[in-house]
Amino acid sequence: MITHDIVIVGGGLTGLMAAVEASPGADVAVVSKVYPTRSHSGAAQGGFNAAMGDDDTVENHVFDTVKGSDYIGDQDAIEILCSEGPEVIRDLETMGVPWSRTGDGRVAQRSLGGAGYPRACYAADFAGHVVLHTLYEQSVKAGIRIYPEWYLVDLLIENGSVAGLLVYQLASGRTEVIRCKVVIMATGGYGRVYQKTTNGHANTGDGMAIAYRAGAVLADMEFVQFHPTTLYGTNILISEAARGEGGYLRNVHGERFMAGYAPQKMELAPRDVVSRSIFQEIKEGRGVEGSYVHLDLTHLGAEKISERLPQVQDLARRYAAVEPSAAPIPIEPAQHYSMGGIRTNLNCETNIGGLLAAGEAANVSVHGANRLGGNSLLETVVFGRRAGRRAAYLAGSAGLAPPPKDSLDAAMERWLANFGQSRPEVEGDSVFVIRRELNRTMTEKVGVFRTGEELKEAREELAGLRRRYSALRVPVKEAPFNYQLTEHLEVGYLLDLSEITAAAALRRTESRGAHFRLDFPGRDDRNWLNHTLIKKGEKGPVFGTGSVSITRYPPQERGY
Amino acid sequence: MHLTLSVSRFDPKADTCPYLKEYVLSWEQHETVLDVLFKAWHEDPGLSFRRSCRSSICGSCAMIIQDRPRLACQTLVGDLIGDGGRLSLKPLPGFRQLKDLVVDLDPFFEALKQVIPWVLALPGHDGRVDPKAARLAEGPATCILCGICDAGMQPAGRVSPAALVKNIRLAVDPRDALGPGRLKIAGLTGEGLMTFRELLAQICPKRIDIPTVAVE
Repeated sequence: MITHDIVIVGGGLTGLMAAVEASPGADVAVVSKVYPTRSHSGAAQGGFNAAMGDDDTVENHVFDTVKGSDYIGDQDAIEILCSEGPEVIRDLETMGVPWSRTGDGRVAQRSLGGAGYPRACYAADFAGHVVLHTLYEQSVKAGIRIYPEWYLVDLLIENGSVAGLLVYQLASGRTEVIRCKVVIMATGGYGRVYQKTTNGHANTGDGMAIAYRAGAVLADMEFVQFHPTTLYGTNILISEAARGEGGYLRNVHGERFMAGYAPQKMELAPRDVVSRSIFQEIKEGRGVEGSYVHLDLTHLGAEKISERLPQVQDLARRYAAVEPSAAPIPIEPAQHYSMGGIRTNLNCETNIGGLLAAGEAANVSVHGANRLGGNSLLETVVFGRRAGRRAAYLAGSAGLAPPPKDSLDAAMERWLANFGQSRPEVEGDSVFVIRRELNRTMTEKVGVFRTGEELKEAREELAGLRRRYSALRVPVKEAPFNYQLTEHLEVGYLLDLSEITAAAALRRTESRGAHFRLDFPGRDDRNWLNHTLIKKGEKGPVFGTGSVSITRYPPQERGY
Repeated sequence: MHLTLSVSRFDPKADTCPYLKEYVLSWEQHETVLDVLFKAWHEDPGLSFRRSCRSSICGSCAMIIQDRPRLACQTLVGDLIGDGGRLSLKPLPGFRQLKDLVVDLDPFFEALKQVIPWVLALPGHDGRVDPKAARLAEGPATCILCGICDAGMQPAGRVSPAALVKNIRLAVDPRDALGPGRLKIAGLTGEGLMTFRELLAQICPKRIDIPTVAVE
């Protein structure tokens, strides 16, 4: 049996930051479904927010984030995020991140949505990529044990605390047990529940779903961010940095339509506001070809585009056949980020002993109902570092639990139930078909604009899909690189998380941040200034509420 | 439109050697090789290939496409063939084929340790970096560790191509204690580097441009 003090699940920015922080004092391992440098953190383009500019202050950053969250972000957590930001950026600097620089050699910063100052530290438009690779360098330096292409199957919990993990090794096709004192869930979001998403194929919310099944509390799952500018059709991300550097959004008449929705911030209003505005334009007949709008960078000039936005330029050329210095880029909003996640306290601890969570997989909650651009990358490193620290402390003060027994038997029983012969309810049914239908339901009925009626339909459709899914099995067990198996497991996670998202969205009868109910278009602080807490019950998710930490900024009307 | 996709298949548990399997599939303009590979997989769920970001930044889907190493998600079908054409996919050469298009990448990631693959912080450096110096690192810092250069090029000096790109990225970093000395340690002459630079420009999917100052 493999044994480590701390096992981090996920090798993206949060996971590697946690590993690097924890490793001097503890035996740390990273289990990741992909090689760490393949993690989707690397696809983040814009930057890491930190109040480091001469005119900027931590207070400004806190306020922008609280307002961006539509007052449901926890202000104690947001204060930590913003006040530790500059220090973590300096840490990353010491580790050797190749930032872009100002004339006097400092880390260059740009404006992103919802911010009052140029606050996002960047490296052209490769911010996530360069920090991910730098943290990978640091984890090699620290000699951290990495298990690449190992899938988490189950959390082994004995007497209410983590005793280990059941994992599946893709190359051998076999399961292994890892004993440990602490697990950090750093598995990212679940964007793949949507048909239209910027997320990569790996973003199926495995960690959230597995933690939920093991009894962890999830929170605020109805809040799903839709990024305003993704390539029309493929939904490949076009960074907010494109607007931060001065790009315009135009409708079919060539008008900068944001003037009608957010006259002060214009294109740099927060993402929930911009995405809704785009859909409104399209709905009212001002979309291009009736279905998208234009991101216009032509006035920036070829030189600025290739210096500041080389990746955007390359993506537009390759995937949309558009030269951004010469023609506008066709864009549409698509799912981008999960504000919800595994509920944690300020030290990243969950309600299960020894189980920590951080980054997009977690809900601490710094983003509330809507995340600002540049704050998720910051969250990965600030809370990744905190999780690493806390894990090292916990591992140092606790002994290893006895080898998991009952929990392992139960986990193996669940595992073996995945295999066998399918008895499909519908002829020709498969996990591929179910996934496609789930994606369509979520995009059409649990998207940017929601109604009670459509959410109820979604719930029904998802229940039908779950029934059909339960009749399916994986025919082959111990095969190397069995992606049929991983697809089967991932569709199971997507079903759980879709159900929870739709039910939470139906329950919240108000509009706040990214959650917009056409049948309840106003924010309702009297009834809904609270977190949605979700626990697994006998017959599906059970909902409750949690209070929001309000330290300095009482809710106000939110205008841009 | 249609195409015939020919894929190298190999299951170590069942096959003694690799063989080619063909799929006749539909495709549309603007679809990538990865898109059609997904269609093949939906017909034949036992087919194995790596993928993740589908936007040329994670480096998962490197493979031989029409006899050249490329990223499947970066390669448009229409750039290679027309309606009724034939598309051939094989695993990256130089690595052990583990299953179908999946190769053993452990030696690749291990090879990065041929150099010291992190910034050896110069003691007392104040963290300020001249923007011109920072621009020099940008090209090599976009390396996605896809393995294409290691599969398609000879080592330059004593180190494998991807490790050399990492080494150059660090050699031009003013915060690094070894700095340009890294290239000497790696056993590289200016001429060898110049050749490497030219060959890399032809093969690298991120078109990494080695700064000529590193060569000088």
